[in-house]
Amino acid sequence: MSRAAAGVALLVLTSPAVLAQRVAVTVGPQFVLASYREVAAGLRYQGTGFGGAVSARYRKFSVEADVVRLTLDPTTGSAATSGFTATEVSAWVAYDLATYASVEAGFVRRTVDPEFDAQSVGAVRIGARSFYEIGPGATVLFRANYLAAPKFSGGGHAAFSIDLGLGLDVRLAGRLHGTAGYTFQRINRKTNPGGTGEIDAPIQATVARVGLAVGF
Amino acid sequence: MIRHLCVLALLVSVGGPAVAGAQAVQNATLRRAQQAYDNLEYRQVVSLAQAALRERLTGPERARAYELLGFTYGALDSILKAVDAFKQVVLIDPERQLDPNRVSPKAYSAFDVALRQVLLVRQLRVDSTTFVGGRGAVPIRFTVTQPARVVTRAIGGGGSFVIDSGAWNGQVNLSWPARLASGDPIPAGTYTVVVEARLGQNTFSAAQPIRVSHGSVDTLQSLTSLPGYQYLPETEVPPQSWRPLGLAFLYTGGALVGTLGLESSSLGSSSKRELAVVGGAALVTGFVMTLRKPAPRPAAANILYNRLLRDQIARRNQDIAKENVARRQQVQLTLVPLPKPGGAGPR
Repeated sequence: MSRAAAGVALLVLTSPAVLAQRVAVTVGPQFVLASYREVAAGLRYQGTGFGGAVSARYRKFSVEADVVRLTLDPTTGSAATSGFTATEVSAWVAYDLATYASVEAGFVRRTVDPEFDAQSVGAVRIGARSFYEIGPGATVLFRANYLAAPKFSGGGHAAFSIDLGLGLDVRLAGRLHGTAGYTFQRINRKTNPGGTGEIDAPIQATVARVGLAVGF
Repeated sequence: MIRHLCVLALLVSVGGPAVAGAQAVQNATLRRAQQAYDNLEYRQVVSLAQAALRERLTGPERARAYELLGFTYGALDSILKAVDAFKQVVLIDPERQLDPNRVSPKAYSAFDVALRQVLLVRQLRVDSTTFVGGRGAVPIRFTVTQPARVVTRAIGGGGSFVIDSGAWNGQVNLSWPARLASGDPIPAGTYTVVVEARLGQNTFSAAQPIRVSHGSVDTLQSLTSLPGYQYLPETEVPPQSWRPLGLAFLYTGGALVGTLGLESSSLGSSSKRELAVVGGAALVTGFVMTLRKPAPRPAAANILYNRLLRDQIARRNQDIAKENVARRQQVQLTLVPLPKPGGAGPR
């Protein structure tokens, strides 16, 4: 997703016409912690970054999107020699099946810079989530997404890829919300370099986002 | 003993004329007749009363003279003459009534016979009343002393309306709805209720003026509540429990188990720093929410009850609105009898 498209989506979601339709919208910045592993146990990174998230709800439909930009550096003992910068965009569209569960679909795209220091990934999300209001203005969420048809910048394929998430939204005061999100991503990537046979090149990433949001 | 009874009878018979004698009498002859009656000089009463009747007398004086004659003839056992005298009394004053406790039985029976021998309409009464047009009636009462054809009418500026026409005798009770043939109430104004009795060539009428006024019928107020029924709160605060913390544990535990279960063995154990941050925040939130007063939640039974109550009130108000539409088209009639200007008399 381009920056322009993300901006247009944000503008549409927060426009007065949309808000007038009793659409609950939240938008806000986030501080991000992340760790990333790829191919072997020795290739591991950790880093921090910033991002933003926007969500909207209209009756049983909800839309959610977040963008994070991370700077990942090799951890102590890592075989990697240099870090990289990753930009990850995730988006979901969900429909509530019950007051505490919904099905959702979307996509995830992570690009890295420099391009070949890690794998850029793009995949379709299909899954479900459960959410529950544990108190006045406090909602906890658990999500499980299957990452279908993943594409990698370095080639290869993944028969099994999954993304788990834990989310928290607490209304702190008036329109101000506190948000937190955790994502665990596991992609069983396999490659066939030079036609010598498939080898495992798994990817595993965990991301924690903590931030504030303003509700409209 | 017999002498004592006669004296007692005389004393009793004196009671009626003595009371009547209290009325102002201008004619000197009539006054002397009254005095003679008081002195039990009956022969003199007869001559003086007859002499007075030949003089110029007012109506009440004339009735008084005949009454003296009636009582005197009664005392003298001349019943037929007493009846004739009393007939003249009631023809002059049809409303004249004797008190059976204060006059002699002879005089009273003579008066009663006289009443039944003369066609009269007496004691015409129209009660003061208020009612909604079409939903009430005006009570009219009168007495006809002989079987006669009686026509009762209301005559006034709004027209002449036949209230009743029939053969009556004795006490008559009528109910007049005060409506036109179209069903509308009679126009407001002053009317005279005229009761006309006819028996052969004899006729007699009595009249009573009345005033009819129109007013609007009070409308009903809409209901905002039903007596004895109150709206119930549509939310209720559930009791405090460990449920928020339990749910936070459940969701965080799910993420932890999922992470541990899905970690790649070839990549080694992943960092738990991220999960610790978010999971910790979730657990702290769950703990805080456990300590906080739970959020009110909808009380389904109360919501249904309130909806029923609102429906019931709305239904009642619809009925009231319909009733008010009808009431605004109705007229409240108030009917008041007026003082009689001249009374009644034979024609």
